[in-house]
Amino acid sequence: MTTKLRAWFDERIPLQDLKEFLAKKHVPLHRGSVWYYFGGVSLFLFIVQVITGILLLLYYKGSEQLAWESIQFIMSKVQFGWLVRSIHTWAANLFVLAVFIHMFSVFFERAYRRPRELTWLTGMVLLFLALGFGFSGYLLPWNELAFFATKVGTDIAGVLPVIGKPLMVFLRGGEEVTGATLSRFFGFHVAVFPGLFTVILSIHLILVQRQGMSEPLGHDTRPNRRVMPFFPNFLLRDLLLWLIVLNILAILAVLFPSELGKKADAFAPAPEGIRPEWYFLFMFQTLKYFPAQVLFMDGEVLGILLFGIAGLLWMLVPFWDRKSSRGEANRWVNYVGLFVVIYILVFTVLGWLP
Amino acid sequence: MKTRAWIGPMLVALSLSLCSAAPAVAADECLKCHESLGGSIPALFRRDVHFAARISCSGCHGGDSSTDDMAKAMDTSAGFVGGSKGDAASMMCARCHSDAERMRSYGSKLPVQQWESLQASVHGKLSGSGGGNAVSCVTCHGAHGIVRVDNPSSPVSPLNVVKKCSSCHANAAYMRMFNPSLAVDQLEKYRTSVHGVRNAKGDVKAAQCVSCHGSHGILKAADAKSRVNPVNLPATCATCHSDASYMKEYGIPTDQYDKFSRSVHGVALLQKHDAGAPACNRCHGNHGAAPPGVASISNVCGTCHVLNAELFAGSPHKKAFDEQGLPECETCHGNHEIVTAGTWMLGVSDQSTCGNCHSADANASGFNVARMMRSLADSLLDMEAAAGKLVDEAEQKGMEITEAKFGLRDVRQARLQSRTVVHAFDESKFRAVVEKGITQAASVSHEASEAIDEFYFRRIGLGVSTFIITILAVCLWLLIRRIEARAK
Repeated sequence: MTTKLRAWFDERIPLQDLKEFLAKKHVPLHRGSVWYYFGGVSLFLFIVQVITGILLLLYYKGSEQLAWESIQFIMSKVQFGWLVRSIHTWAANLFVLAVFIHMFSVFFERAYRRPRELTWLTGMVLLFLALGFGFSGYLLPWNELAFFATKVGTDIAGVLPVIGKPLMVFLRGGEEVTGATLSRFFGFHVAVFPGLFTVILSIHLILVQRQGMSEPLGHDTRPNRRVMPFFPNFLLRDLLLWLIVLNILAILAVLFPSELGKKADAFAPAPEGIRPEWYFLFMFQTLKYFPAQVLFMDGEVLGILLFGIAGLLWMLVPFWDRKSSRGEANRWVNYVGLFVVIYILVFTVLGWLP
Repeated sequence: MKTRAWIGPMLVALSLSLCSAAPAVAADECLKCHESLGGSIPALFRRDVHFAARISCSGCHGGDSSTDDMAKAMDTSAGFVGGSKGDAASMMCARCHSDAERMRSYGSKLPVQQWESLQASVHGKLSGSGGGNAVSCVTCHGAHGIVRVDNPSSPVSPLNVVKKCSSCHANAAYMRMFNPSLAVDQLEKYRTSVHGVRNAKGDVKAAQCVSCHGSHGILKAADAKSRVNPVNLPATCATCHSDASYMKEYGIPTDQYDKFSRSVHGVALLQKHDAGAPACNRCHGNHGAAPPGVASISNVCGTCHVLNAELFAGSPHKKAFDEQGLPECETCHGNHEIVTAGTWMLGVSDQSTCGNCHSADANASGFNVARMMRSLADSLLDMEAAAGKLVDEAEQKGMEITEAKFGLRDVRQARLQSRTVVHAFDESKFRAVVEKGITQAASVSHEASEAIDEFYFRRIGLGVSTFIITILAVCLWLLIRRIEARAK
């Protein structure tokens, strides 16, 4: 029966080619092989996001009058609605965390070096889109904290010279954070970002498949080096990790379910403890430490510009780290990476502390 | 506006130049001459408190009162200003009355802030023409015949001041210029009040306008600093009514303020500063202040507690109370020391008020109804408490129970409604309201219990799913090991 079915499919879709491709595909084994799994974990969490997002979309209403109420309905009336929402929220956080870990592992392993510049660039765009998902999704429950955090976040964008004001108006759909902002963010969150993400993710995955797994500098590249078959060994290990992540996700979602908070009220005073999602905290905290005026420039503008430049340099690392591309060790890249990791950790903790 | 800004300092400067020293009355040629001319002014001045203090005409009018040469005496270059009006007259008075040292030199113990108080007062701030204050010193005290306030002939003496104030305040056409919405029947009401009746009989201790409103620094009642602002009014009334020695001759209690302070109304007004809570005047009236009669108590309370009064009027108690001459609301709730009403008032226990009239032997029907109503009220209270406890527990467990919380509000509403409908003293009406609340409380309890059950279901569900996922993971791990072992 199984043979017949396989033959039936094989006649219509040449599965044999795929089987041969998978049989030949190997994953190199070395001290950093564990980091390969974080790409897969990111992909798994993205899939969870898509599934739970679609389920939430069945009940969520993206309007100023109904957004908060619809989430309340999901949390209290829809069967397992609370679980779906909690998983969506926690998966979003773990997704960003996994993407960050994936990015840093790629950075420290120099996996961005030639010929994988495009894989790195598409990965960076995916990271920015993941942050965009987080920022736009944060407002959707239309609660007090999200409302004011979005106000602060878009205010920060608004201080940029020349493009700041038009960018802020574009993001908000007007001068202030209103129902128009919510509709706009909802549109970004469920249509624009997923569309872009899917296209760029496809390119990213195709590139990974075409180029194979990157190996660390100086790693044995002989054909008889230690490798692991991608199918089924690596894939099953990937699945094992996905199950562990799913377990963690379930525990977090049940023991620490998402809260709804108070409905947003533009005329209410801003509540205490307004802060963005944890992955924006290091930037938020840095801007707090900037003096109001630095020489002739507004401190906040300078801070944003510096972050912009730092982000751009980070993104362009395959092009300025020539040594790694030539297969030579470049300790400065390690120092820069280490500094960035420590900086992000320290400032995130500082921002988190009350 | 600008004119008013500079006119004050200018008048002060002019006044000071006029009064380097008040000329002695012994050499007052002005008075001699004006007496020869006839008219009432010289005679009035001779009994003026200022004349007694040896202050001559030039003390206020300027000029030189020591010469009989009219041209010299009334020479403007010598400082003669003639008759002053409005603010100019007040400034002239203030020249001495705001100078503590000078007042001491005349042996006066009068306060010296009258002019400042007047300027800050409602009279000082209002102006009919824009040229000066609505009221000047002369308006109330007069000009040439000024006598001490305790002199019965003073226009501002306790027995005359009502007439003096009403000379403006009872004049609708005049008052319209300043405050068209202000009532002009204060005098009329005052004459009906206990204070007014006593005042008319010559009782100088009975409260009159000044007793409550003050004199020079009168503020609008809405002003938080006003003595008659609702929050301050009980203390104002208490200045007399809590003074046992002052009130001794009237034979009425002096503990009203203490009792009121402890009452539900007093706590709301004096501690929470809820201006909507009643002060003394809301029950007794203000200008027409008098204790409400037995027959009118429910009307007085009913101005705020409208439904309670209506229900009581249609209840069987109305007739019974009327027949026995019992004051309606006061019989159960008291008067000044009205405490928060509660279930404890109902029923047949020792604390209940029903038991004061109803017993198992006499008025047995009312006794049974009271017992039943108490039982219903207690049931609602217990159900509400139980529902609230469950809602709290569900909330503490992080469950979304907003609807149950709204439901709990409905239960509370039903309880409050039962407190109103109790005034109908109709068991069926009371039962209908209470049972509505009990049903709602049961529904809230059910919802909260379900939320708590759901909480435990989630924990169990997590345990089961975690176990299944872990088993799957272990199986997968074993499969991987088997595959890898086979490959070796």
